[in-house]
Amino acid sequence: MGTAYPIEFLIIMGFAAVATLMVLMISLALIIHKAIEFQKSWRQERLYGIYSSAFAQILLQELPSLPPNAKTSAVFIQYDSLISPIKQRLVAMTRGRRKVHKEVLRRVMIDFAQDLSGEPSERLVYFFYVLGFVEEQLRLMKSRHWWIRAHAAREIGLVRARKGIASLTAALEDEHPDVRNQAIQSLIVLVGVDALDIIFGVSRNLSQWTEIELTVIIMNFREEAVPYLITALDSYDDSIASFAIEMLAEIGFIQAVDPLLRVLQTHPNTSVRASAAEALGRLGDGRAEQALLTFAFNPHKGLRVRSIEALGRIGTPAALPLLQKRLAKSEGEEQTTIARAIGKCGHEGRLFLEQCEQSGDSLVSALASQVLEELGSETVSG
Amino acid sequence: MPQTIVVAEDQHHIRSLLEYKLRNSGYTVFGVGDGAAALQKVMEVKPDLVLLDVMMPLMTGFEVLAALKQNEETRMIPVLLVTAQSKEDEILKGLDLGAEDYITKPFSPNELAARVKTILLRSAKARE
Repeated sequence: MGTAYPIEFLIIMGFAAVATLMVLMISLALIIHKAIEFQKSWRQERLYGIYSSAFAQILLQELPSLPPNAKTSAVFIQYDSLISPIKQRLVAMTRGRRKVHKEVLRRVMIDFAQDLSGEPSERLVYFFYVLGFVEEQLRLMKSRHWWIRAHAAREIGLVRARKGIASLTAALEDEHPDVRNQAIQSLIVLVGVDALDIIFGVSRNLSQWTEIELTVIIMNFREEAVPYLITALDSYDDSIASFAIEMLAEIGFIQAVDPLLRVLQTHPNTSVRASAAEALGRLGDGRAEQALLTFAFNPHKGLRVRSIEALGRIGTPAALPLLQKRLAKSEGEEQTTIARAIGKCGHEGRLFLEQCEQSGDSLVSALASQVLEELGSETVSG
Repeated sequence: MPQTIVVAEDQHHIRSLLEYKLRNSGYTVFGVGDGAAALQKVMEVKPDLVLLDVMMPLMTGFEVLAALKQNEETRMIPVLLVTAQSKEDEILKGLDLGAEDYITKPFSPNELAARVKTILLRSAKARE
């Protein structure tokens, strides 16, 4: 007689068998998936190699020289003759196969575009158009996913598609900062320094990342960027005006003094005026002194303190009488700022601080000692 | 007899382009895709010039360059470095290690061919 197993044992064994089978099936599915992925990637790399070699020839192949009176279109006819075999092969493919080939082809061309200059890169730009890649990127610029829009904005720059300038300009107002930043970079590639005009004209509420991006670009152009920065001082967007002020101070171009004085005196936003006062101090030009003295008594504290600081940076003794008068009437951080500005007003300024050290007002005396210490504390009297 | 050039570049597209350009300019070209293979190929064929990408797997261009300059048999072979744009420290390091010249990406293939020609002429004159 056979042994009778309890029903519970049989149920458990049944579950164990099913679980083992499931684990085996999942493992098999994973192995198959990996194998397919590997094959796909291997095939793409093989295709990449084939298209790289083909494109190296297409890009470098010598073309018959054209007569001097030849139309511009004659060059494009020559380029067409180079790319038509690839175009025809793509047309003959099934839709799925064509998609894979076009993707690899696009990768190859983008890689070449990043590494090549000279006439071959002109050919590449044309090939991007005729293979439909530019149209595709322009379509992707309208994607609802920000990362697709950002990628398309980048590629339009890489393939130097001037047709994309309007889309990139529109992307300066995109809701996502990465798209805006890529649009800025591509516009600079396509238009050069003149793109700053478009960028400052269209952009609104510059984010911190956009400012960093623009700072790198502007510091590369330096003096070339100054006219565009001066125009940007009149922007309706305060973040653009403030950024332009900061950059003008950073570049240190003396031409910027008069436009900055105009901003200091007339801009409707007091914070922007305070930034202009600071920039004028950094430029250190004596022409700003009179205007800064006026604002050293402004009711708006930010503007007042920045103007006093700027006077300190310029450091001319002409500011001393007004600063001395102001020192006794002020308090807190503002008083320290004034004392520092006085200390930077040459010999007379230090002499005045030494007198303050001996004064009956213990706070003023302590402050004068502190500033003299900061300045190196060498005495000028006796 | 045509002059020989070893092209060491891990990026397939650039290697294809360099090989095509230099072959069309009349040189015998050996292309390799990593630093270790570059060193091996140079030892094997003793080329007239080595075109070396800085960023490569297994051995970087600098390591290959240093190894070539330390070896009696290869130290006279001129090396042209291919480097990414605006990496001044890389350029200076390469020249310090003994590279003859450098070219930055993006580059014009015609300019590259002209530089190769100049280096080979200079090297031939130095040997005379």
